[in-house]
Formats: sequence, C-alpha cells, structure tokens
Amino acid sequence: MNKKFLHYIDYKLIAPVICLIAIGFVSLYSACIKYGSSLKFIFIQIISCILGSLICYFLAKFNYIFYKKYYLFIYFVSIILLGLVLIFGSFKRGTKGWFNFGLFSFQPVEIAKIMFILAISSFLDNNILHINRIRCLSTIMMFLAGHLILIMLQPDFSSTLSYFPIIMILLFIVDIKRFYLLCIFILGIISLGIPLLKTFSEMYLLHYHKDMFLTHTANANVRLIFIFICFILAISIWFILKQIKIKVSIKYIVILLFIVILGNICSLPIEHSLKNYQKKRFIVFLNPQIDPYGFGYNIIQSKIAIGSGKLFGKGFKNGSQTQLGFLPEQHTDFIFSLIGEEGGWILAQLTIIIYLFFILRSLSIAKEAKDRYGSLVAIGITTMFMFYAIINIGMTMGLMPVTGMPLLFISYGGSSMVSSLCAVGILCSIASKKYSYY
Amino acid sequence: MWRNNEDKSSYKKFIVKNKIILLLFIVLFVLLSIRLFFLQIINGNKYAFISERQRLFSRYEHAPRGVIYSADNIVLAENKFSYAVLFYTNQNQKKLINHINNIPGDDVNFYVSNNVFTKLIYNLSMEDVLKILESKSNTNNFMILKESHRIYHKPKVMSHIIGYISEIKHNELKQFGYHIGDYIGRGGIEQYYDQYLKGQSGELQIEVNAKGNPTKVFQYISPSVGADVYSTIDFNLQQVAYNALKNSTTGIGAVVVLDIKTGAIKALVSCPGFNLNKMGIHNEFKKYCLDKRFPFFNRAIQAVYSPGSIFKIITFIASMEILHTKISQKCCCPGYFQLGNRKYVCWCKSGHGIINLINATALSCNVYFYQLGIKLGIYNLIKYAKTFFLGTKTGIDLPNEKSGFIPSPRWKHKHFCIPWFQGDTAIFAVGQGALGVTVLQMAYLIAGIANHGVFYEPYIVDRIVKDNVQVFKHRVKFKKTISINNLTYTALQTALLETVEYGTGRRAQLQDIKIAGKTGTAQNNKGKPHAWFVSYAPTENPKIAVAVLIENGGSGGMQAVPISKKIYQSYFKIIKKNE
Repeated sequence: MNKKFLHYIDYKLIAPVICLIAIGFVSLYSACIKYGSSLKFIFIQIISCILGSLICYFLAKFNYIFYKKYYLFIYFVSIILLGLVLIFGSFKRGTKGWFNFGLFSFQPVEIAKIMFILAISSFLDNNILHINRIRCLSTIMMFLAGHLILIMLQPDFSSTLSYFPIIMILLFIVDIKRFYLLCIFILGIISLGIPLLKTFSEMYLLHYHKDMFLTHTANANVRLIFIFICFILAISIWFILKQIKIKVSIKYIVILLFIVILGNICSLPIEHSLKNYQKKRFIVFLNPQIDPYGFGYNIIQSKIAIGSGKLFGKGFKNGSQTQLGFLPEQHTDFIFSLIGEEGGWILAQLTIIIYLFFILRSLSIAKEAKDRYGSLVAIGITTMFMFYAIINIGMTMGLMPVTGMPLLFISYGGSSMVSSLCAVGILCSIASKKYSYY
Repeated sequence: MWRNNEDKSSYKKFIVKNKIILLLFIVLFVLLSIRLFFLQIINGNKYAFISERQRLFSRYEHAPRGVIYSADNIVLAENKFSYAVLFYTNQNQKKLINHINNIPGDDVNFYVSNNVFTKLIYNLSMEDVLKILESKSNTNNFMILKESHRIYHKPKVMSHIIGYISEIKHNELKQFGYHIGDYIGRGGIEQYYDQYLKGQSGELQIEVNAKGNPTKVFQYISPSVGADVYSTIDFNLQQVAYNALKNSTTGIGAVVVLDIKTGAIKALVSCPGFNLNKMGIHNEFKKYCLDKRFPFFNRAIQAVYSPGSIFKIITFIASMEILHTKISQKCCCPGYFQLGNRKYVCWCKSGHGIINLINATALSCNVYFYQLGIKLGIYNLIKYAKTFFLGTKTGIDLPNEKSGFIPSPRWKHKHFCIPWFQGDTAIFAVGQGALGVTVLQMAYLIAGIANHGVFYEPYIVDRIVKDNVQVFKHRVKFKKTISINNLTYTALQTALLETVEYGTGRRAQLQDIKIAGKTGTAQNNKGKPHAWFVSYAPTENPKIAVAVLIENGGSGGMQAVPISKKIYQSYFKIIKKNE
C-alpha cells in the first residue's frame, strides 16, 4: 500500500510545490496581521490546501488517458460551468465570476482553464496529421472562442489573456505552419493592443496636457488610419520583394491584411466589453508616473516595497510598506512584493528559483511522457504556470501589466490553490505512467 | 518516450521544441531575476530611502537660540517661550476642532488644512496648554510643542550690532545643514555667529500609515540650546551715543568707540536704528525698507565717506617721516592756494596767516596741507594711507564690512581717461575727492595712533559659552606695529591736543581728562558736508578712541565734537564710580 502510494507521487515536482506553499503561508500570515484576523485567511488557505492535496492525490492515481477519450465531455462541462457562473454567479471586484456558497466561494475559471488544456490537447493529438487544414484550425479557434467569449462576458480580462500563450505553445508543438502561428500572434496583438494603447495615450495626454481636448477626435479614426498604413506597408514590402526576386505568394500578403482587418474588428468588442478602469489598470505599467495616486499607485508602491527590501529584507512582520498599508492587495496579487520586502533579495530570488525548478521538472515530465497526449497536456499546464508566474512577478516589479493574476501556490485564494494542485495531480499522473504500458 | 511507432520521428522534433520552450522559459526567469537584482541590490538604497520617507514624518523643532549679553551682563537678546499645538488630521476632525476651540479664550482659533500634520496655533500660553491637556479625553491626536521666540531688549539702540532672525530662504538651504523653516540670523552678531547661536534643532519622527494616521512615535531628539554670546559692548555708552546721535541736527550718523588696549568695540551705533522686534511684521518691515534714511544700513561699517580733514593726520605723519618737516616750519595761509590757474580754498576764507605745522593741524588749515601734499607726491600719500589700513577691511566680526577706497592715478586713468593732476594730489592730502573710509576705519586709525602705531584688530564678541563651557574666546589680535619715529608721534599728539585745547575741537574739552582729536568736514555732493570727529583720551594713558560721523551734519567742530564729549563724560564717570 505504502509503496503504491509513493508510486504516484513525483517528488521532484512535489518538493518545490511544498516549498512554495510554505513560503506562501509565512507571507500570508505577515500580510494579514494588520487585518487583525490573519488566522481566518490562514484557515481558509489550509482548508483549500488540504482539499487540493486530496484531489491532487486522486488525480495522480487516475489514468489521464480517460481525459483523452472523454475530451468533448470535459469541454462541455467547462462550458456549462462558465455559463452557469454568468447566470448564478456573484460579483467580486467587478467581475461576475464566483459561485458563492456562503462560507466559501469558488471561481470556475481557474478549473475551466485546466479542462480546456485537457480538451484541446486531445483534439490536437487526434488531428495531428491534418492539423494544417483550415477546417481543423477553425475548430481549434471555435474551442478557444467558446471559452474566451464566456469569460469576457464576466468580464475577466486577465484570465482570457492566459489562453493565448497556452494555445500558441500547443500549436507550436503540434507543427502548425509558422505562418499561421504568426497570424494568430498578430491577431492577438492587434485586437488587444489597439484598445489598450488608445487608453494609454489618452491617459498620457491627459497627464501632460490637461487642457488638450483634441485627443478624442484624434482617436476616432485611428483604426482606419492603422489599416491604411498596414495596407500601404504590405503592398510596398511585396513590391520590394518582387524587385529583388524573392518569390512570395500574394496569398500571404492578402491573408496578413485580412488578419489585420480581423484584428481591428475583434478589438471593437474587446474595447467595449472592457471597463475603462480595467484598461487603465492594465496599461499604466508603461509609465506609472502618469497617474501616481490612481492607477499607477500599486506599481509604484510595489516597486518601493521590493526595492527597499535590499539584500536581507526588513524581517518577518517588519516590512513598513506592507504593515503600514502602503502596499495594496498584499495577500493576493502583490504577495511577491511582501516577500521581496520582508525577505529581501535572498528570499525573492529563492522563490523565483524554486518556481524555475518546478517549471523545469514539469517540462521534463512532458519530455518523458508515454505518449503525445501526455506531453501536450504537460506542456499546456507548464505554460499556464509559467505565464502566471511571469505576469505576476513581472507585475510587482513594474515589468508587466497589472492584471488580477495570482502567484500560484503563494497568493491567498482557494480556487486558484485547488485548481493548481489539480494541475499538479495531472502532471503527477503523467509522470507516473511513463513506464507503464497499456 | 512516446511508445507508438509512428510517433518516433515526430518525437525527435518534439524534443527540439521542448528545448526551445525550456530555453524561452529560462530566459524569461533570468530577465525577472535581473530586474529583481536591479531593484533590490543596485537601486535598493534609493527605494529604501523612499519607503522611509513616506513612512516617517519628521518635524523639526527649533532650538532656542543663545542669549546675547553686553559687556556689563545686560541681556540684549533672549528667548520667550510659547506653545504650539500640532494636530493629526483624521475623520472626525471638525468635531474635535470645535471642541478644542472652546477651551482657550475667544481670541484663539484653530485652523486645519489638508496636510497630514497641521500646526494649529502658535503663541499659546502655558495656561491654555494646561486647559487643553486637562480635557485629555480626545486629545490623543494632539501634540503640544514648546516653541521659542526671539525678543530683543533695547531693539533700536542695538539694532545694527545684534541683527535679527528670519526664516531661511530657499537658496540658503544647502549650506550647513539647515532645514526648511529654520531661522537664520540676518545682520550683526545674529548672522556672524549664527553657527554658535542657533543650537541643534530637535527632531520628532512619527511613523504614519498609508492613510496618514500616526502609528507610533519613532524617534525624538530634543533640541539643544544655542550658545550664549558675550559681546564687548558697553551698554551705557551705546545708549548715550545713540541718544546723542539721535538728537543731533540730522539724526543720521555713526559712532564707534574702541578700547585702545585691546581693540574691543565699546559702542558701535548707526543712526537711525530700527526695531528688531518688529522685523517679522510685514508692514513694519516694508516701512523701514521704504524709509529714505535707510535705517537697515549700518553706517559704522558699511557706509563709505570722505574722511575730510581727518586725513591730515596721515599727511602729517608722511611729511614728518619723508620730508622731515619741522614742527616749526612756517607757511603763510592767505585763504586760498594757487595751483596753476586754479584756486584751492581754505575753509577759513580770510586765511590763517603765518602758521606752523602744529597750528595748521589744530586749526585744520587746508592751504598748509595742500602744500605738504604736493611736496610729498601722490604715491607717498597712498603708501601711508595703505600703511594705516585705509582701503582694507579691519576684520571686525560683523558681516558686510566695507573696505573703503583709495584712489590712484591708474584708477583715474582707467575710469575717466584723464591723467592725475597735481590738484588731485592737493585734494587727496586733505581727504577730499574719491577717497573713502568707514567710521570704524577712522576709529581704528586713531586708536592705532594713540597706541603709538600698535594696531589691535577690532572685535565685538568677547566669548561664547555653551553649557558653562567656553567654546570661543576672542584672542586679542595684534595686527601690526607701524615703525614710525617716536618724535612724529609726540608731535602729532601735541597737534591733536592743541586741536582740542584751542583748535577746531575745543568743544570737547573736559575738566580732568585731556582729549586729543581731529575734526573733519567732508564735502560731498549730497548737501551739507559730513561732520567728523576722531579722538582718544586720556592723552597720557589712552583708554578709548571715539570716531563720530554725522551725515550732512555740517562742520565737524560744531556738530560731531559735542557728541564725543557726551561719550567721554559718560565713560569717565563710570570709571570714577568703579574706583
């Protein structure tokens, strides 16, 4: 029994997870002292940790091949969850993304992401031979759109963002044409970039030229101008390439232009579904000084917190930025700033290194997996963890936009803790099956 | 390792891609680590400073300045204490303020701005403070601070010597570690000895949270009192001199009284004075600024006047030293001196007749000295003027001393493109023209002559005492002995005595004490001539030297001499009493 129990657990994967959770508890305790009821937060975190560990153990024992078989079922369950939350969910911080069960609440987006990885990997694995057909590609896009639209209706902007790297990396793995990858990349950049840069330029102009009211009229035709410039650019590039006798099919140019126009069209609903404060909060990291007491405040304070920790930190429960409340959201999104301030460079760098160990181990699980499906799922989950970590840690240091992404395993939050332990369970399951045959 | 055979080839591709992804992830993590290193190790101190700055609120508490005493231990400047209430804003501030407003009298009203810490009110008396403290129930958000205010006794008499204090200006902040809101001395001892007087300001550091509410007192450094300054000023003498000047014809002028044996300044008056206690009041300050008599101007050390006939002392010495002029050398004064086709007149239009050197000095005959000056030549005169420290600062420990001015042929050529004429030399010999001296320089000159060429640097602060420990003591600075024949001094002394005996200075005569002096009447382009009188007494054993100037007062003998007499009267009466 004991031997079998151990068999499912991949220690190289679990050890960093335990370390991260431990760091998380210590910082959470320090972060919540000023609320006077730090035990409540710790208690909820412990409960979700135990629950997550149990699910993790069962998922590790469970053979992941079943997910491959019933991927459509998994996908529909996730769609139903996301749909139900739109109907029965409750509001928290402006998004309708929570099932409220009184004592605790549950955020279905977190688990839906993992379900999506399981489903899309299965689909990709099944259609590996004709992946480059348009029919296949459009199916993948449909899969993606189903989730994205439902999440944008909440609207949970940051969660939709995490789908992009996952789908990009997975498509990269399954040998899709580079050109298509480029198209998806451009589509994503344009449809997100235009509304955000518009917001940023408005904020910027508002900050530096308070009396300037021409900005709105100037922004009205930005899309048309943008498309026109792209059109001119594409034609001229194609012409130059023709002159220097490099044969490029006109097809590519046309598709690229089509993508640009499509991106512009996609950016319209994104711009309207996003609330103004979400956009501002997202983009202000480019220059937090344009709004130091509003949207830039978090970033500025977080940078001060991390920087003032210096080499050894200010000591447990001694961080002035955190304990005096200068740092907002210190137990959830900005917990890394607390680690940086109270633990100093040593602890912050250690956290990053442990994260890296975890990522490296899950990548090697992907490499050692028994079949392609296992590899795809492992890569997808790794990308998700990676993306969360980069965005969150980058955000606290002013490198990345401020999104509501938690630092998985460390930030306070039951749903994210449970779902990330689920993901670890799936990874363990993939790792444990590497020697077993059908 | 994928088991299906058909996957074997694509597995190799996968391994490569896995490596690319691995590399990408590692690069991203390295970027994060670099950023972390940059923030915490390279820029750590900067951010630590910012975080300390936003968490700690410092309030500087001014230290009481040191007391300034006169030589006879009369307090000239000291501090009065009052209390100030400091307030931390929070939600129910309005209610609190109303409550507190009811406690002191009706004339006290608190106000609140949007700052984190607001100073509510200055100048609370101890009584009001106790009332506030008694209603302790909701005064946790208050802090009561002791504040010192400067007050000056006899503010008009002492105005130029003591100076006043005012809040530091922006451009002065960088020096010597002053803080915003500090007071700095302006003019006089307050400015010159500011480093000693100001003391060490205390600091109250309070930790505040993000909402600006205080969490705890972080650090309190109590202020340390500034050092006490003991000046050499003889208060009675100063008072007498000031009153005498004030009651003179124009009421504008300066007096310097020097102790001959040490160089200590017994009195230094510039009239009109200004009220030091009213410098903080804007309207009063403006009134003084607009005053045509320029009360802020310290006429004793900052104003440059022609010395007039006083300069004849130097011409006298120079001619005896260089030309070996005999005392008995006679010369005829017809009332004017013909040089080329120009006439240089004597003040006595009818002429002094045939006179010798002593008489010429005593009666201040210009014609005699015109001739001496021309015989000597301009360069000899300039050399002797420089020997007696004209054109250089005396080095008194007061700010903004002027050095005066000695013209020279080169200077004239440079500025007017005209060569130096003999007439210029003649005028120079009687102290007219571009020659400029301060009243202090004249007192210094006469004190040096009384001492037979031994000059002591003048000083106004004798010692500075901090916590019963002497931190500064003036050492008498022996500047220079001018090697001049004793005979010359004897002759000069005789001439100066004669001046008071029967000459232009006879209005200074006192019964017991023999005074030696020289009057001056300096022509100028601003109206009546300036009246000068420099003197020392007693002649046998000189104790004090007095220089008096009355701006546009007229004749030196008529106006300046009686003031000196009053000073001598006052000074020697004190001596008698003490004996």
